[in-house]
Amino acid sequence: MFTVGIDIGSTTCKSVIINDGSIIVGRAIVPFGTGTIGPKRVYQSVLDSCGLSRDDIERTLVTGYGRFTFDDADNQKSEMSCHAKGVNFIIPSARTIIDIGGQDAKALRINPNGMLEDFVMNDKCAAGTGKFLDVMAGILNVKVADLGIISEHSQVEVSISNTCTVFAESEVISKLSMNVAIEDIIAGIHRSVAKKVAALVYRNGIVKDVAMSGGVALNKGVVGAMRKELKTDILVHEDCQLAGALGAALFAWEEAVKANRCSQTQKNNE
Amino acid sequence: MRSVNAIIQELDRIVSHPRVMLEKYLGKGKKVVGCFPIYIPEELVHAGGMIPMGIWGGQVSPAIAGKYSPTFTCSIMRSCMEFGLTGKYQGLSCVLLSVLCDTFRGTSQSWRIGVKDIPIIPFIQPQNRESKAAKEYLIAEYRSVRNRLEEITGCKITDHALSKSIEVYNRHNQTMREFAEVANEHLDVVSAKNRHAVMKSSHFMEKAEHTGIVQELIAGLKALPVCEWKGKKVILTGITAEPNELLDIFTANKIAVVGDDLAQESRQFRTDIPDGDNPMERLTDQWFLRKGCSLVFESHRCRGDMLINQLKENNADGIVVCLMKFCDIEEYEYPIIAQQIEDAGYPTLCIEIDQSTQDNEQSRTKIQSFTEMINDRRP
Repeated sequence: MFTVGIDIGSTTCKSVIINDGSIIVGRAIVPFGTGTIGPKRVYQSVLDSCGLSRDDIERTLVTGYGRFTFDDADNQKSEMSCHAKGVNFIIPSARTIIDIGGQDAKALRINPNGMLEDFVMNDKCAAGTGKFLDVMAGILNVKVADLGIISEHSQVEVSISNTCTVFAESEVISKLSMNVAIEDIIAGIHRSVAKKVAALVYRNGIVKDVAMSGGVALNKGVVGAMRKELKTDILVHEDCQLAGALGAALFAWEEAVKANRCSQTQKNNE
Repeated sequence: MRSVNAIIQELDRIVSHPRVMLEKYLGKGKKVVGCFPIYIPEELVHAGGMIPMGIWGGQVSPAIAGKYSPTFTCSIMRSCMEFGLTGKYQGLSCVLLSVLCDTFRGTSQSWRIGVKDIPIIPFIQPQNRESKAAKEYLIAEYRSVRNRLEEITGCKITDHALSKSIEVYNRHNQTMREFAEVANEHLDVVSAKNRHAVMKSSHFMEKAEHTGIVQELIAGLKALPVCEWKGKKVILTGITAEPNELLDIFTANKIAVVGDDLAQESRQFRTDIPDGDNPMERLTDQWFLRKGCSLVFESHRCRGDMLINQLKENNADGIVVCLMKFCDIEEYEYPIIAQQIEDAGYPTLCIEIDQSTQDNEQSRTKIQSFTEMINDRRP
């Protein structure tokens, strides 16, 4: 039985298809978020990735910022629950999850079954989110995906002291005008994100193992800075960006099993 | 007899349009005195035959208030300044403000300079509540408030009238507490938004009048069949839980509010004025009985314990901390009470309250996640 999970983020749509709640058979990521063609396109892409059609899908569950606007889903669930479920599937030892998304950052504590025990989310502020990195990459004229690799060459990390994205932007411009090396500035940007997110994680409490999910987890510079700030190892899975969609697919599978069981019981009673 | 829904709708209209009430009382020749949050001895105003009216700001993105209020301060104070500066409070004879935190202190000065046509009467309720001198000090402060009120409005405030007003307020407190209890039997009717309307409307009505309406509502509710609530139940704590759009998110997630520790709501009604011979002393004594509030100093903080008791008494599933943005006093207290509640085995959710924005999407995600979390814990 195939189920689909779709994570409609603010900047990116992700989707996963699983078979019988245990094997990932399809993956897709499109760089368009809610309110764009992203949701429709990612759905088609994930089907194409494994040669399935919509008729093959038992149930679809959607999560993420755009979860209320996708008509083709059978149900929706919050991204917090879906990330907890998804990370528990790919990193079963994880008890603390740091999810940095396009416009928010979250720290989750989960139990061994992947259920949420507690969570905190950032304030209404771009600092410590993927948006902060997008803005900085724009000023530095580099691709956001390259930030991690470039920062690996940093010799002296510079301090980006402003929390506010707009002021931090001015601060970066002033560093550039002083001919500070780009890789050192980027290392400072990563540290700035890590500090902001670490405050959330400390507030929520750290229980090992600690894992990161969301697209920003692909940035090795941010992950390294988070390790330094939290003084602990952080596990990152290659499917970290798909964790929310995976959790949604797993919830869809659980719901489908439950629905099938109910209908079977009903038939038996008839 | 009016229907329960008709009464709630009336109270909701009052909360949505408090200016109508102000005009109504002015039209009757009454003087109306604005009362800033949180603990104003309204009985003094009432005893003078005037109407105390709460001023708790509102959903507005302040523009002109920025001239006096720093951006990163409590949005209630900023919106109050905005409304004061833009004439929304025109008609008030004066305003009363108790300096309970630094933002109140700053606002008392800004108001005097910016809102020249509405005099402000600032006063201090002492945070050292264990010294005998504190009581003498507060009696002197309240006498000073009484004298200033009489000077500004020309209304005489007698001890006899004050004693009568104290009885009106104590009766109102008891009625509101009874409403909170009865409402929990009818959570299908008294949604989070409706409960808030009943609570908040008390700030905009003469108290005996409000008592009458709430008693009518209680009678109406009692006549309805008791509802066995299938959803989850929470207790709200903080300064305020608004706007309605935010409260509707609770309802959409099948969450009922079965109790609150909000400064704007139950904290107003939970401490009666004690018995005694001297009404000024009685009024003063109420301040020394207040507890479990971030704005009132206690050597042993009991807010966490009070919330845990509320959870148990109301069979609630968790606490929602409605954290007023940039209220440093509340922000300092949050981690302490959250830990206490978690240690007692209950979950907490923290949502940000900000009068300067209409955007509730982040709260929507948080409330939905919290619901899913507590559904998993106690299906």
